[in-house]
Amino acid sequence: MIATISDSTPVSRFERSTVNSSTVDASEPSDHELMLAVRAGKIARLGDLFERHHGALFGFFLRLTQQRALSEDLVQWVFYRILKYRHTYRDEGKFSAWIYHLARKVAADHYRKRALPTVDSENGDFADLLTDQSPGPSENAAYNDDVALMQQAMAQLPLDQREILVLHRFQNLQHAEIAQLLDCKEGAVKVRAHRALVALRDLYFKLRRGRLA
Amino acid sequence: MNCQRIQGHFLDYQENLLTEGDTAAVQSHLKTCLVCQREWAGLQETLLKLERLPTVPPSPQLRLRFEAMLEEEEESLSARSPFVLARSWLDSVLAALLPSRPIWQGSLALLLLTCGLLVGFYWIPRNAPTATLTDATVREEISQLKAKVDSMAQLVAFSALQQQSGNQRLRHVVASLDVSQADERTLSELLTTLAFDPSANVRLCALEALFPHAHRDAVRAGILAALPGERSPLVQVAMIDFVAAARDQAAGPALEELSRSQTIDQAVREAAHRALVQL
Repeated sequence: MIATISDSTPVSRFERSTVNSSTVDASEPSDHELMLAVRAGKIARLGDLFERHHGALFGFFLRLTQQRALSEDLVQWVFYRILKYRHTYRDEGKFSAWIYHLARKVAADHYRKRALPTVDSENGDFADLLTDQSPGPSENAAYNDDVALMQQAMAQLPLDQREILVLHRFQNLQHAEIAQLLDCKEGAVKVRAHRALVALRDLYFKLRRGRLA
Repeated sequence: MNCQRIQGHFLDYQENLLTEGDTAAVQSHLKTCLVCQREWAGLQETLLKLERLPTVPPSPQLRLRFEAMLEEEEESLSARSPFVLARSWLDSVLAALLPSRPIWQGSLALLLLTCGLLVGFYWIPRNAPTATLTDATVREEISQLKAKVDSMAQLVAFSALQQQSGNQRLRHVVASLDVSQADERTLSELLTTLAFDPSANVRLCALEALFPHAHRDAVRAGILAALPGERSPLVQVAMIDFVAAARDQAAGPALEELSRSQTIDQAVREAAHRALVQL
């Protein structure tokens, strides 16, 4: 098994990625142009930005909190803040960086109010949605088991490590973008992402050993 | 490369971000190192499981809530007052002009501070000679002002004292009797009381309070100044005794005038005569 994996050619997640809500046609206005229009007072254009980004934002919050209703609330809050603080949007800024900046603030505010930055995967409703996503009836049980274990491992990760993994692996943000978002250097992001992945691996295998025992 | 460096490259290797040389180095190391093979396999499996986590779409409720919020905002925007619109426009202009990144904000603040210091440094010395020229005039004006304030304060204090009843004024003077180290202000108040208080008892008491300070020129001068204006023989005699006991040579002319005066009380004339003998 080890030889098989070590010989395999690595495949970039960007090549595999199929979900990227910010992908737009070249003929359509960019996120930046839409946001400039919103800033200028054409707030109906926020609807276009919502269509492009609400799915990715919902995924971000869902993987952080593992609660569907809460994640929808937080997405709503992000768009509310975009409306409220639209005049603070900068010409030189990149929209995706700005929207994730707001999303992180919204999440931080939520955790500050709750004073409970950990996620209880047993009480989260994310696991209830897994059955519909399974590949096929024969692999259903094993698949769900694996996913549930990974979900549990994610839930047990500290919030900062969970966040960097979500930004890196699911939100398709480049290291440089995450560095800008977290206000640190790109090298530091790589180190932190690697540490988070190692921590996740240890948690996952620990949980799997516990399940088998 | 050692194992730690190789493992540090795993994420970049997995994302095809390494150079050809580093990729070849990682691959050749993985072929020979069992520890790194195990590490790489574990990470690969973790990533595989991680990326198999399902993508869940939000419920349609989210879109409905967003549309309601947008509609509400549009309505409130159309109903906004000109003041709010002007403020919004000003916010937009400021947001567009001022830097957004903290490092640029800090740099701008530093630049403004430096400009302020330079302007202050070059501007203030140029105006300094003007200030020096007017210095003597300013000082004189300040001393005049201070004198006025002092006299005003004295007048106010005396007026306040006069608002009180005789007993209260007497109590105030009696309180001064215990002050062995009286300051200028207390002595000034006592002399003012001696010269202007309508009650003879209060004036007598003030004279008594002044007695321990008879060695001071200002006290003796004050009493001599009050003596011609005094109308109560009792107080006049006490004042004459005071200056005689203090051996105040300056009191000679005033005492001679009193001793010759025919309009004053006989006892006062005798006391003045007696004092002149003592002096």
